[in-house]
Amino acid sequence: MKLDVNGQAREVEADPEMPLLWVLRDLLGLTGTKYGCGEALCGACTVHLDGNAVRSCVTPVRRAAGKKIVTIEGLSPRGDHPLQQAWAELGVPQCGFCQAGQIMSAAALLAASPKPTDEEIDRSLAGNLCRCGTYVRIRAAVRKAAGV
Amino acid sequence: MRPRLARLVRFASLALFTACSGPAPGPAAAPRPSAPPAPAAPDKLLPPSAFASIEPPAARSQALFAEASRVLLHARCVNCHPPDDSPRQGDAHAFHDPPAVRGPADRGVPAMQCGSCHQDQNLPYARVPGAPDWHLAPVEMAWLGRSSAQICAQLSDPRRNGQKTLAQIQHHLAHDALVGWGWGPGHGRSAPPGSQVELGALFQAWIDTGAVCPAGEEKRP
Amino acid sequence: MSERGDRRGRGASEETTGGAPPSEDRARFTITVSRRSFLAGLAGLGAAAAGLALGVRVPGAEAAGATGAAVFAPNPFIQIGTDGVVTIVCHRSEMGQGIRSSLHVLIADELGADPAKVQLVQGDGDPKYGDQNTDGSSSIRGQYEAMRTVGAAARMMLVTAAAKRLGAPEARLLAQGNAVHDPVTKRSVPFGELAVAAAKLKVPAKPVLRPRAELVHVGTPMPLVDAPGYVTGAAKFAADVQLPGMLTAVIARPPVVLGKVARLDEAKAKAVPGVVQVVQLPAPTAPVKFQPLGGVAVIARHTWAAIRGRAALEVAWDGGPNAAYDSAEFTRSLLATVRAPGEPVRRLGDAAAALARAAKVVEAEYVVPHLVHAPMEPPAAVARMDGGRCEIWACTQDPQTAQESVAEALGIDKSAVTVHVTFLGGGFGRKSKPDFIVEAALLARAAGAPVRVQWTREDDLRHSYYHTHSAQALAAGLDAGGNVIAWRHRLAYPSISSTFAPNANRPSRGEVNQGVVDVPLDVPNLSVETGEAKAHARVGWLRSVCNIQQAFAVQSFIDELAAATKRDPRDMLLQVLGKPRTLGPAELGVEAKMLGNYGAPLDKHPIDVARFHRVIEKVTAAAGWDAARKAGRAVGLAVHRSFLSYIGVVAQVSRGPRGEVRVDEAWIAADCGTIINADRVRSQLEGAFVFGQSLFTHGAITMKAGAVEQRNFRDYPLVRMPAAPRRIHVELIPSEGPPGGVGEPGVPPVAPAIANAAFALTGTRVRTLPLVPVRPVRPVS
Repeated sequence: MKLDVNGQAREVEADPEMPLLWVLRDLLGLTGTKYGCGEALCGACTVHLDGNAVRSCVTPVRRAAGKKIVTIEGLSPRGDHPLQQAWAELGVPQCGFCQAGQIMSAAALLAASPKPTDEEIDRSLAGNLCRCGTYVRIRAAVRKAAGV
Repeated sequence: MRPRLARLVRFASLALFTACSGPAPGPAAAPRPSAPPAPAAPDKLLPPSAFASIEPPAARSQALFAEASRVLLHARCVNCHPPDDSPRQGDAHAFHDPPAVRGPADRGVPAMQCGSCHQDQNLPYARVPGAPDWHLAPVEMAWLGRSSAQICAQLSDPRRNGQKTLAQIQHHLAHDALVGWGWGPGHGRSAPPGSQVELGALFQAWIDTGAVCPAGEEKRP
Repeated sequence: MSERGDRRGRGASEETTGGAPPSEDRARFTITVSRRSFLAGLAGLGAAAAGLALGVRVPGAEAAGATGAAVFAPNPFIQIGTDGVVTIVCHRSEMGQGIRSSLHVLIADELGADPAKVQLVQGDGDPKYGDQNTDGSSSIRGQYEAMRTVGAAARMMLVTAAAKRLGAPEARLLAQGNAVHDPVTKRSVPFGELAVAAAKLKVPAKPVLRPRAELVHVGTPMPLVDAPGYVTGAAKFAADVQLPGMLTAVIARPPVVLGKVARLDEAKAKAVPGVVQVVQLPAPTAPVKFQPLGGVAVIARHTWAAIRGRAALEVAWDGGPNAAYDSAEFTRSLLATVRAPGEPVRRLGDAAAALARAAKVVEAEYVVPHLVHAPMEPPAAVARMDGGRCEIWACTQDPQTAQESVAEALGIDKSAVTVHVTFLGGGFGRKSKPDFIVEAALLARAAGAPVRVQWTREDDLRHSYYHTHSAQALAAGLDAGGNVIAWRHRLAYPSISSTFAPNANRPSRGEVNQGVVDVPLDVPNLSVETGEAKAHARVGWLRSVCNIQQAFAVQSFIDELAAATKRDPRDMLLQVLGKPRTLGPAELGVEAKMLGNYGAPLDKHPIDVARFHRVIEKVTAAAGWDAARKAGRAVGLAVHRSFLSYIGVVAQVSRGPRGEVRVDEAWIAADCGTIINADRVRSQLEGAFVFGQSLFTHGAITMKAGAVEQRNFRDYPLVRMPAAPRRIHVELIPSEGPPGGVGEPGVPPVAPAIANAAFALTGTRVRTLPLVPVRPVRPVS
């Protein structure tokens, strides 16, 4: 199966029903995308498919074929997406595990709504759990990156 | 689930009686007594033929809709026909968790689109239900919390059904893959009675008998 | 089970922090710097350098640390190369508390190095570092002097070398900014140029610490060192470790603790493409300690095959001795227990007589269910066997216990076990227990290949070491003037000690020291009594441990007394705590040996009512308490001391759009003594609020027929962003006192503060957690 991952053509041999998450992590070695629940409840596995944020833990890899897959590793060439910068500047992460998924969700939001309201931020990031409880800083970082 | 279905059956039967004992038909308009059919088993739908003996046709039409509404009022259907911004889950219509919202096109908001999680089919391990183009019905087509009479009135009103003809609605009910998902919801979820084909037939029969809506019922809790 | 496990058992029952044994002994090891340990340090650095530099490096594949020759290494924590690079080992696990952005600052400040330029290396599990057990909120409070001492030792040696080089007296030289300066001649020598000479010197036996004012970075907000790795996906957590030829295992464990495999048909599992092997793991014996739970492992080429293979296993389980456990029934038996007198653990005056003569008696019962940590990263570990050696990569809070447990399970010497500590995607106490790491080691041996054990979320929720399930009954007698003249607190819950000692069947000394016997109460007649409760699940420690239920009960009850006497809750709280004073065992009404004080001496860390007052004043001022109440806003207050820190919380709640109680805003005032990285302290307190909000609102693990009923975040929900407060304000009280804990103390006052606010809003008292009842669980098809 041919995949377009972070702008690179990749070839994998995988069960078409294998979730994209495990293809990325186990077959392609892209471990920035995390497993947190396997049931699309926590958002740690969020990646972009043709710009839409999806939960890779429930996305069969066959549905990603022919689409542009972007993971946290490919969000920006040098890890300097405005969200990544804002996250670092505001010290958002605690354990850091959920943050790649949070950032991928936030990036999809900003792509669609460059100046989001707090309510929009809440709604778009409602699917991303953070057990450390960094939500208040995440909101602030999204606002900072959006310049609002 | 079972008790709820049983209640729905009783409810539908009651609707039949209500429809048949309406004030309109005089002795001359009722050439022979119309006998409502015995209720179907909780997981079955009666075929249109079971209503053939009901006269006048208007009462038959109402009875057909009442039977079809056993599907329309089912949690698998109404949960995606909410009157507000949140889809529901489960037979008790709990708010969707994670807290998904309708969004501008009934398909969620960025990063929380219906399709962010729901695939084109049910997932065997993750329990996430799926069907092609998973989405909410437009808010003007809200069914949740409404009676079959109210739903019928909405369905019949082009301003409240997305400018559709009844034939188009019949097609949606009888052939749409997302509607069809209801009968194969997966993971121990309850399914509405009958089948999509049977629903299509009932709905067609309702149209064919004049598409008469049930007289006012109690609003569902 | 290991000595360490036994010690842990005693730690729970005899010491103070329910799983955080005192670190003093081990800390002392590190400050006894001698010539011998200097040499050992050099040798040790090899091991440290071979360890895992968290972040961009492939674990174990290359040396991390100094880029030049590491010639100066006066102890296991510091090395300075001739190129001037200062490498500092972080020997505590990073799990979100920001220890890697804090601990090295102490060393660097003492040393005179710029913390921003330090190369940070994560220490493997090794006794040479002293206590590495990252729990009990102990890393700063327990290591404050030790870390300064290792830094001071190195600094003194560099200064001695510089004095010789500059021909200046040591006394006037200053180590600062990675160099030693002579303020008189204005000459400076960089550390790198002193490394060779310093390495030849004797390590001072008694390093002299700098005056506090010279610790220039301590207490300031410093950046999050690991942020770049977290935001780019480069940070390596346990499950991210990939080794050549590595297989992945997913395990079907007995649903009931001490259950066993009764029947197994593995044919269908083996037929799943990618499945390599099915291995039955040994069943544990009581007490469970840190043993894996047994069951059947499916080892596969990748995670997906392992998950599918496990689902295809046909296993029948033998339930074992806990198969009848029903947590709902257990609640009833706990309540029956606390309605009868128990074993006294704290007594002043005659509470029974005072209750009998009181003008008014207020009584309330509180129930807190089993809780689970649910770190976002489920447990995972990688093991590789090489001859008789075992190498581990794991998200462990306690690498030395992991090392001992693996050695014991494999029957090899612990010196043959290397434990690399990865980033932890949250720990909260779960990852102190190495059961999942032992699984990886056993399976790597069985497979003859490196194995990663991946816990699924279901595994994490269903096979944890649960926060105990408790009931508490409080009664207070008030005189005609509304003064509290009697206080009776009865509590019953299975003890953490039961996990280590089969006969432990009531709250232990360590557990009642978490907000029961150590609470200052200005009440002349007091009785605290514990009741029997036998454990039927693995009970463990979860962020702030028994402080959770005990602060919930005590701080809710004081609010109930305020309501009963129509007084401002803050006034009632201040009255019950009494006037500023310090309390010892006699004033508290406990035997001296009963008072654990989190392993810290009372003279250094007294129970200080003035500090309670200060955080109450600060937090209510910040929240505008009086104005808020006057304006009819629903605010709730709670204060609690745990892990030697004092935290006051005000929560403000309102009705959400669906009629739910939602938290709009929160204020926290914290007196944690000396703090190191102010921004990490703030972030811990913000996070603790949300953690407490989750357990107040949603948290409950229930068990039927001995098995956990919840399986994922659908039925063990956590607070999500829309429910998080709009703002969380943190006030840090400046202090030069000895540091207290930070990671845990923020949690206990949260639930009662919200409960008290919810009462102000609704008039209904939440006495049984969680607020939102457990959702029914759909059977798995």
